[in-house]
Amino acid sequence: MRPLWAKFEEAFWPIRCVWLRYLHVYLKNWVYGLVTTFVEPLLYLVSFGYGLGSMIGSVEANGISVSYRQFVFAGFVAQSCLFQGFFEAAYGSFVRMYYQKIFKAMASTPITLSEVLWGELLWDATKGTLSACAILLLGSLSGDLSPWGSLMAVPLCFLGALLFSSLGLWMAALSQTIEQISYPQYLLVFPMFLFCGVYFPLETLPETLQTLASFLPLTALLSLIRWLTLDFPFQIQALAVFIFWLVLMVFISRDTMSRRLVK
Amino acid sequence: MTASLEVKNLTKSYQRKGHPPFVAVSDLSFELRLGEIFGLLGPNGAGKSTTINCLTGFYPPTNGEVLIEGFNIHREPKKAKQHLGVCSQEDTLDTDFDVLDQMIRYGTFYRIDHFEIVKRARILLETLGLMEKSNELIENLSGGMRRKLQVARALISNPKVLVLDEPTTGLDPDARRTLWQLLTENRKQGMATLLSTHYMEEAERLCDRIAILFEGKVLDLDSPENLIKKYIGTEIIEEEIRPGVIWKRNPNLEDVFLKLTGKSLSSGDSE
Repeated sequence: MRPLWAKFEEAFWPIRCVWLRYLHVYLKNWVYGLVTTFVEPLLYLVSFGYGLGSMIGSVEANGISVSYRQFVFAGFVAQSCLFQGFFEAAYGSFVRMYYQKIFKAMASTPITLSEVLWGELLWDATKGTLSACAILLLGSLSGDLSPWGSLMAVPLCFLGALLFSSLGLWMAALSQTIEQISYPQYLLVFPMFLFCGVYFPLETLPETLQTLASFLPLTALLSLIRWLTLDFPFQIQALAVFIFWLVLMVFISRDTMSRRLVK
Repeated sequence: MTASLEVKNLTKSYQRKGHPPFVAVSDLSFELRLGEIFGLLGPNGAGKSTTINCLTGFYPPTNGEVLIEGFNIHREPKKAKQHLGVCSQEDTLDTDFDVLDQMIRYGTFYRIDHFEIVKRARILLETLGLMEKSNELIENLSGGMRRKLQVARALISNPKVLVLDEPTTGLDPDARRTLWQLLTENRKQGMATLLSTHYMEEAERLCDRIAILFEGKVLDLDSPENLIKKYIGTEIIEEEIRPGVIWKRNPNLEDVFLKLTGKSLSSGDSE
């Protein structure tokens, strides 16, 4: 009987192969990769964290008082997962599926389409995690975020980026043209980014909007990140909402993309 | 001879909203033997690409099965595809890589040792006249070079079964001949090749047997010579190609196709 590790390696080797294909491309254009992964969240961080943060002072959310800089630092961690995950998966996978047709090319080898899609999602999530890690590191070094909490938030960020990558992949699978991806971008991603509590506590919103926002995945991710990095109270509802969206998005995105490609 | 690829009663239909399913391929059966070049000849829309998508495991069949080296491609895709090389009709080159890197990357998908992949890649690129472009990005290649690279990539695993969907479309005569020569060499090594084409000269020249496909059905399957003998005969055909100019020529597969379907090979809509 083969050892468990050998079976595990055999099952994950094709996904690793696809993931390495993306890493290889990323490293080939590492300057471009660094700029697109790290610059945007860092600019937000400096502008809102240090610029606006010095004017606002402190904010109170979930019964905890923290400096505005701490509050948005944690917010930008989640925002990085959203932006990097969604945009890489939505636009990137659309290009790879529709223009380059490399999903089909890879699936013509012993790697199956299901494994290709896992590789795609895991890479997109990796990119989102890298970006989130940069902010976590900066937040820890500046003393705004708990270093241990930041470390524990890394796997959570990966799952968050996986969730938003799945959302992006789903949108790519549904879009007939690359322009159509703008609809979810403007109607879903930007509203989430603006109204889920990245910049201000949800309590400041009207109650209906608060309730609506509490069911969105970014709100749930933010709550969990602030719990780990700022010692906010743990909200079981946030965990439930997060797991619900994660499972649903991963399943639905892979299923829709497979249906689009395989007739 | 051993069958490298067996297609048994393959049927593929597409569901359509508000309409009955469209049957693209109906009850297709044939086998591809070791060292054989087998042609699927038909106009655009005949069901060639659908057949190939089913044979390569990309589309699930509605009915029937496809075996490669004895492995069902839909039930045991990994084992089956380990023996399969595919060059699809559309350009599926990975434009994020240069020519050589592309070959190496796809070789790793077959779990081939790195040094072995590099060796094979260099030989293939040399054979197809692409070696001097090995460090070029795909976007810098001409259409013909891209097509040749796609064939080279399909051969990187040294497959037992090679499936080529319209491989010479867009190739200049010289490149086409290079490719024909490569396929002939591979046949000598025992590689079984399935060639989908609508070029009758290509089919006649390369294929040991041909299946004439029309509206998803095989109208007949035999060697090119037998098909011509059976449907047209051996007499020289005289055609008036311009007013007063008579051209005498041997009968060919185009004549067979016309006789069987009432249409020429170049007719039909794109699939």
